Amino acid sequence: MSDTKGSPPQNLSRRSLLKAGLAAGAVAGSAGAAKAAGDPLITEVQDWNRYLGDGVQARPYGTPSEFESHVVRRDVEWLTASTESSVNFTPLHELDGIITPNGLCFERHHGGISEINPADHRLMINGLVDTPLVFTMEDLKRFPRENRVYFLECAANSGMEWRGSQLNGCQYTHGMVHCVMYTGVPLKLILEEAGIKTNAKWVMPEGADASAMTRSIPMEKALDDCLIAFKMNGEALRPEQGYPLRLVVPGWEGNMWVKWLRRIEVGDEPWHQREETSKYTDLLASGKARRFTWVMDAKSVITSPSPQAPVTHGKGPMVISGVAWSGNGRITRVDVSIDGGRNWKTARIDGPSLPKALHRFYLDIDWDGSDLLIQSRAMDENGYFQPTKNELRAARGENSIYHNNGIQTWYVKADGTVENVEVS
Amino acid sequence: MSKFLKALCLGTALAALPGLAIAGDAAKGEKVFKKCAACHAVGDGARNKVGPQLNEVFGRTAGTAEDYKYSKAMIQAGADGLVWNESTIAAYLAKPKDMIKGTKMAFAGLKKQEDLDNVIAYLASFSSASPAAQDQSSAEPAAAEQTQTADASAAAAPVSATRDGGVFGLGREATEDEIAAWDIDIRPDGTGLPVGSGTVADGEPIYSENCAVCHGDFGEGVGRWPVLAGGHDTLREDRPEKTIGSYWPYLSTVYDYVRRAMPYGNARSLSDDDVYALTAYLLYLNDVVTDEDFELSNENFTDIHLPNEENFIADNRADEEHYAQKGEPCMSDCKPNAVEITMRARILDVTPGSVDDDEAAGVGGVD
Repeated sequence: MSDTKGSPPQNLSRRSLLKAGLAAGAVAGSAGAAKAAGDPLITEVQDWNRYLGDGVQARPYGTPSEFESHVVRRDVEWLTASTESSVNFTPLHELDGIITPNGLCFERHHGGISEINPADHRLMINGLVDTPLVFTMEDLKRFPRENRVYFLECAANSGMEWRGSQLNGCQYTHGMVHCVMYTGVPLKLILEEAGIKTNAKWVMPEGADASAMTRSIPMEKALDDCLIAFKMNGEALRPEQGYPLRLVVPGWEGNMWVKWLRRIEVGDEPWHQREETSKYTDLLASGKARRFTWVMDAKSVITSPSPQAPVTHGKGPMVISGVAWSGNGRITRVDVSIDGGRNWKTARIDGPSLPKALHRFYLDIDWDGSDLLIQSRAMDENGYFQPTKNELRAARGENSIYHNNGIQTWYVKADGTVENVEVS
Repeated sequence: MSKFLKALCLGTALAALPGLAIAGDAAKGEKVFKKCAACHAVGDGARNKVGPQLNEVFGRTAGTAEDYKYSKAMIQAGADGLVWNESTIAAYLAKPKDMIKGTKMAFAGLKKQEDLDNVIAYLASFSSASPAAQDQSSAEPAAAEQTQTADASAAAAPVSATRDGGVFGLGREATEDEIAAWDIDIRPDGTGLPVGSGTVADGEPIYSENCAVCHGDFGEGVGRWPVLAGGHDTLREDRPEKTIGSYWPYLSTVYDYVRRAMPYGNARSLSDDDVYALTAYLLYLNDVVTDEDFELSNENFTDIHLPNEENFIADNRADEEHYAQKGEPCMSDCKPNAVEITMRARILDVTPGSVDDDEAAGVGGVD
């Protein structure tokens, strides 16, 4: 405790971090016997209390404290053949509230991050339109725009968990989701500007990246709530999120939210592109495969405690916290169980409750220090509630991969460590 | 081997010249390197990928990057004394297979001298053994800036003007050439197919040169790269193999995807006829056609049907039992007995670098 500088915890393993936490608790517990001495962090003047810190402009674009350097996106190297067509994961266990910081939004690329000067970027609308058009970024910023908070979840989020518990941490099991506020132009306005022909039933967004990503989207959705976004959380999109322009397809699988958006084709039939045939189709036990499974159903996960966020305090007050979301609207309720799903208590949703956005929930408990099997179960405004993983496997078989919104169980042990398990 | 020896001798001679300056522009070379980046890493933390990492490649004996599995030919070249420097790298990158017959590198070669010079300058900036390159780099920013300024003044600054028509009168009409350049998508009904053709036999060398390094000689996939062929009748099995022949519903998707995104890291580099030939070859690898003389063209394209076309169905999730369970969920005594743990995380610590690849093999990937 005499090391007043402290040290960033990224060098500590989870286990040693836990020990440190327990040790700190022990010190605090014995402090009563030495009232005269007291905590040197209080009784001695600290450097930061004496000397001047950095002035303004020392950090023209601010970044988190050095003590938060462990809070980063992480990947699982063996998942994919190359990092340019791969994924990393949002550190959900370190976050609170409902907004994901821009630098922590998970990445999924199919041809690496395109670096595009916005002055060189064009958006083309062609196909079944009265006038095929080309817009510059300047043009797009002259349309009326909207601000909307939405979650984006990859259809493969929790896909590695489909057959059973695999990865120890909600960053890896559930971290292909993020939630930010987008600023952009309704896609409807752009389509109307070109004039949609009466036989137009589908649109196909296309990316400018090295995979030239494409997906077919039904016209009804395109005219409903899709946005052509150029800002996230108030600032320009990050390059890894499609700078300078991306499509926002609220509540639908992330692969459709085409980044580096350069073209929208209008047609009368779907295109059956690679990402909607060979990928992002849900193989059933029968050998049949569902296609165009766009909506992300209601889902939730407890982010703390979780394997990467073990309990570092003893028995007594404990905050169980997590996130819930639904592609079909608002979350109206989240129930939490601490006994593996035998008994449930309704958690408290705190913060904004917006349709197709993350919701933050809390259950404040008095932990008796015994083993727990904690679960959360989300319900959305349509009365749909989250199924168990066994229900999903019974309905779809073992090879469906995508759209795993099953209830997650964390095993909290008496020593505070947490493990990813499935239960009877 | 004779060509290689010639190049080697030439290289050695050139390398011996004192103060040889690199003609290229490292900043431009960084762009050229994008063609290489699918397989090679360079810079901070660069690791071996499909190809070896390229830090300190200058002065490195061929075939000696740590932990990289080279072709026999490359190891032999190193044993014969090949050391990478400006000229040997230039000779290799111009025509890799001419210089090292049997190299694993599938890249066909850089055709433009300018690209060669630039990418070498870029690589040199990651090697301490090439002082000439470092001298060069200090002079580069100014030169690069000048070029940029010139480019900017030559092209009209993008302005946002209004036009007649539309609701807001924003944007401008797209030209036919512009639409043709970007609108390259193909639908299952053949809409969008360009005029052209190619045979299975034409496709084989194109595949070997551009695709086999990742997808394997027979479409079996190298490492975790996608498997393209085989897997018939595996969709109901424990580990289904989803390939073009076993899973993909439409051939149009193959043509469309190869043309827009392949070869990985060098998209849009194949001609339309090349893509017809490759598509024909992929049909052959999947036993959909069996004749090496089979020619695929825009004329007969829609006659071909993939075996699994009929097995795709609409999203009928809502028919599943658990979707009907609306209303109040069970809140107490929902399970008859105390809950038991039935499964535990297979991989207890996924901190990067801590997972044994072999142990992890067989875990479902993301796509």
